[in-house]
Amino acid sequence: MHDLLPWLRLISGRRKRLINGALLMLLTLLAGIALLSVSGWFITASALTGLLLASGLAASLNIYVPGGSIRLFAVTRTVARYLERVYNHNTVLQLLADIRVRVFRDLTRAPLGVRAGRSGANWLNRFTNDVDTMNTLYLRLVAPTAMALLVSLALVGLVWLLGSAPAALTLAGLLTAAFVVATVALYARTRQRAADQVIQTGQLRQAAVAHIEGQAELVAAGVADHYRQDLLASADRYTTVQEHLDRCSGWHLALTGGLVQLASVAVLWFGLALFQDGAISGPVAVLMPLAVLGIQEALAPLPDAFGQLGATVMAARRLNEQSAGIDSSVIVESTTGATEARADFLDDNARPVLTFDAVSIDQGAERDEHVVTPVSLTLEAGDHVGIIGPSGCGKSTLAGIAAGLQAPHRGRCTLAGREYTRLPARDWLQSVSYLTQSTELFDDTVRANLLMADARATDQALWQMLGVVDLADLFASLPAGLDTRVGAYGRHLSGGEGRRLALARALLKPSSLIILDEPFTGVDTAARERIKERLAPVLTGRTLLALGHSTEALPYTDRTLSMTVPDQ
Amino acid sequence: MEPDPQTNVAEARRWLRSLSGDVRGPLLAAVASGVLAGVFTVVQMGFLAAIIQAVLVDDRALASLTGWFAALIAAVVLRSGAQGLQTRFAAHGSARVQDRVRRQLLASWSDTGPIRLMDTSAGTLAREWLDHVTALHGYFARFQPQMWLSVISPLIILVVVFQLDWLAAIFLILAAPLIPLFMALVGMGAESVNQRHFETVARLSGFFLDRIRGLTTLQLFGQTASAAEAIRQRSDQYRRLTMETLRIAFLSSAVLEFFSSVAIAVVAIYIGFGLLGSIQYGPAAQLTLFSGLFVLLLAPEFFQPLRQLSQHYHDRASAIGAARLLLDRIQAAPVQTTDHSHSPRTMAPAGSSDAAIKVDRVNLIFPNGRPGLIDVSLTVPDGSTTVITGPSGGGKSTLLHVIAGFLHPDSGTVSVRGGLPGQTPFGWLGQSPFLQQGSWANNLRLVAPEATDAQIAEALATVGLGQLVAGRPEGINSAVAESGVGLSGGQARRLSLARCFLADYPLILLDEPTAGLDAASEQQVIRALGELAHRGKTLVISTHHTAVLAMADEVWTATQGRAHHA
Repeated sequence: MHDLLPWLRLISGRRKRLINGALLMLLTLLAGIALLSVSGWFITASALTGLLLASGLAASLNIYVPGGSIRLFAVTRTVARYLERVYNHNTVLQLLADIRVRVFRDLTRAPLGVRAGRSGANWLNRFTNDVDTMNTLYLRLVAPTAMALLVSLALVGLVWLLGSAPAALTLAGLLTAAFVVATVALYARTRQRAADQVIQTGQLRQAAVAHIEGQAELVAAGVADHYRQDLLASADRYTTVQEHLDRCSGWHLALTGGLVQLASVAVLWFGLALFQDGAISGPVAVLMPLAVLGIQEALAPLPDAFGQLGATVMAARRLNEQSAGIDSSVIVESTTGATEARADFLDDNARPVLTFDAVSIDQGAERDEHVVTPVSLTLEAGDHVGIIGPSGCGKSTLAGIAAGLQAPHRGRCTLAGREYTRLPARDWLQSVSYLTQSTELFDDTVRANLLMADARATDQALWQMLGVVDLADLFASLPAGLDTRVGAYGRHLSGGEGRRLALARALLKPSSLIILDEPFTGVDTAARERIKERLAPVLTGRTLLALGHSTEALPYTDRTLSMTVPDQ
Repeated sequence: MEPDPQTNVAEARRWLRSLSGDVRGPLLAAVASGVLAGVFTVVQMGFLAAIIQAVLVDDRALASLTGWFAALIAAVVLRSGAQGLQTRFAAHGSARVQDRVRRQLLASWSDTGPIRLMDTSAGTLAREWLDHVTALHGYFARFQPQMWLSVISPLIILVVVFQLDWLAAIFLILAAPLIPLFMALVGMGAESVNQRHFETVARLSGFFLDRIRGLTTLQLFGQTASAAEAIRQRSDQYRRLTMETLRIAFLSSAVLEFFSSVAIAVVAIYIGFGLLGSIQYGPAAQLTLFSGLFVLLLAPEFFQPLRQLSQHYHDRASAIGAARLLLDRIQAAPVQTTDHSHSPRTMAPAGSSDAAIKVDRVNLIFPNGRPGLIDVSLTVPDGSTTVITGPSGGGKSTLLHVIAGFLHPDSGTVSVRGGLPGQTPFGWLGQSPFLQQGSWANNLRLVAPEATDAQIAEALATVGLGQLVAGRPEGINSAVAESGVGLSGGQARRLSLARCFLADYPLILLDEPTAGLDAASEQQVIRALGELAHRGKTLVISTHHTAVLAMADEVWTATQGRAHHA
């Protein structure tokens, strides 16, 4: 349960809204309860007065106050319900923003090494689901629970006041039982299974993906049917667990309702006994059990929320683990942005720009990369150095180290004579321009994607750089020009076009060290050769570290280092 | 963002209805339980009113009413029991529907065949199979039964109220014709709320995901702070937009709430005045405290099922959304009307000679109209190594797929070892081998359940994985993916090759076996291929790789759908 604490704390940042929303919820519930119980009081009072009148006795009943109250409660319930829904939806959407921003900031603070393996569509899907789950915390869990408790307390107080202490205590006992059944008991019963199911879901997803990707091989071997049956059996087990959880929630809901109604029966008994003793009037004896019946509406939403609490806690735990790796000493987040170009400390020509001194890595960011053989390398200002090697040799990990995203496990890496750990990551990141192996473009315009690198770049500068990567003609021919949207994942562009745009962006960043990891992936040979020619003047005076699987895949360099695959 | 599904809402609704036909039993049981719960509610309220009448009006001693109290408690217990049963049956029905749809999807994957299936990413397919099917749950477990209950339960209550006081029943009946109107209102409202909400969330999630996906780049360009700010602004902007529509959409449910509240108020005031003797016409004069209270207690129950239905409306909306995507997938699978063993186009020619594979004048056109193979004929001698090469898109993989039986030609015949393609097991090595969670040994026994540990170790050694596996703590019984670290592409492909050695297939088809491998893996694979050829296996390989080409007995070139002996 303590896994939920950070999220509850975050939510409580909007305390005023939360309380207002809860009050509206309370008003709706109370108006509903009052509507039914005052109506019962009114009918009983009328009946008793009517009987007196019929027997010729003088009797009177103030019909205006109860009649008016009934109408008032009817309108209040409607209006409060409407306002509550609007207000709380607004709150939920605000919390959505709070939670996302918080999660995003946490992620940006985690060094790259911590994030390793936390990518890919499956991870992203699960991650957003988890974040969305935190979003339901207030409206589904916190507010209804608090309101159910408040309304129960108010009711017990009312019965104590109008009726008697034993009646109130009996009611308190039965309502406590109902509350426990709806919440804690259900959570205790489903916690393990709900948590298991979350894990089961992940396994089933993996099994399904393996089945799809390996179908050709399974069909060829004549065992596809066999494995299909296996997969279906796991899926059936999964729905069986789901069914069990549903049934648990269902029975607890039914039991909660039953207990509330039993409470109303008990209060009815006490009330009528008090009436016969002459302690209370008939209408009051009717009002109390009807008010108790009304509390069902407050308890009804609880079982559903608590039946899923196990899964909610799991989601919170995963998100907490996400930020657990944050080392507060390494603040990767840049607050100033590349726009406020600080004095680039690499301008100091006295020291080599970049050195690797026997750098090695056990486990790289790319999951099967190891740099086993220690790498030593020195880049003087203006050097253009290439590193070539097959996939899996650890090139990308090395590039990440040079870019300051990751520390080497052994050996030293320095930038302008300063070691990784000694240097604020922000300074390091600002001094280096790094084109990562995978192309990361944002669902925005070409201009916005380029301006990330240099907010002050003029359109002319952007066109010029697009010219270097052989994209100027393409975008010039499109009606939107620089405002052409690249789509999610840069999907509106071909792989090679996206790559070249990312390359242009890396070149635009005004830093003196440029690291290019496989700059020409997906770029055809002719375009590649053209770009290489145009790159030369752009790179003059800057220091270049380029990595690729072969020399053709690299821009022109002064010297090339070759790496081999470490195992086998 | 996912593209709009082809299936329209009406079709999706029809499909959902047809699915509920398959689980009529549990659904009916759920509805019956719900109706029973409604009946017990009426009984409970009746006894409640009767006890009050007995004590307050008829002056009966409380002690003499223990039997009535027992009946009241029994009604409460039975009502709860029936409610519990309702969810139990509904959950069961929903689970069976999900199982059934998952079977349908798997069958459609199988009908689509391994090649066309991969047009869609495995992640998307798995999400449909798991998450989208789960999204059907609320529709079957909650919405469907509630739809029946929202008609039946109010009717029962109306009949009872009519017996008690027909004028009070008229008040409720006046609301009755409004109920379909309510439902339409609620439906439209909820529908637009849901649509808006889903769209908003989808767009926001898209934006959020986009930034998370590119987090490294944001860090590299020092843009994380501004991205966080953008996420906040975007969320805020969408919130304001959504709230505008929500304010109107929530009105429809407010109308429902209003009618139910006002109906209770009107009934209460009418009964009150009737009991006071202020109303002289109609049945009001016959009202007693019993009938008056009974009617009052039933009035909220009259509207309750409808209010509940409106709460379940989002279940329906998300089920229809999921159903559209699922139906798209199921309908995209080719209909397997003809049994291929009797279809003339793939009939195996009689009396095949020593040729392992005989492809005779095969034509194949892709669904998009592009010709895949044009009049292709080729023979692969038994025990030979045949390489199919050619430019990408030339048809070499398609030819291999036809020989494997993954794709069916539109005309012409294919015979493999005297039978139909795919009739007898063969080895297949593609880009993505099948890896199941579990040990190396389990993964190899997939094709040869009887294989001994020694045979498995030998097969792994043959493909150059011996050292790697021996280095793991439990040897061949170690998990393939240890501590979350999977195999590299080359290692996975070699594992798949090890299966070919173990299963001893006479025929092995390989689709670009060296593509995307690093130099070391490439060499291991080529060495293993040589070993397979040496053992007399028939190999058919589609490749560009010169070292693989060099080991061929026969080379065919596939260009623009035509194959030529080189």
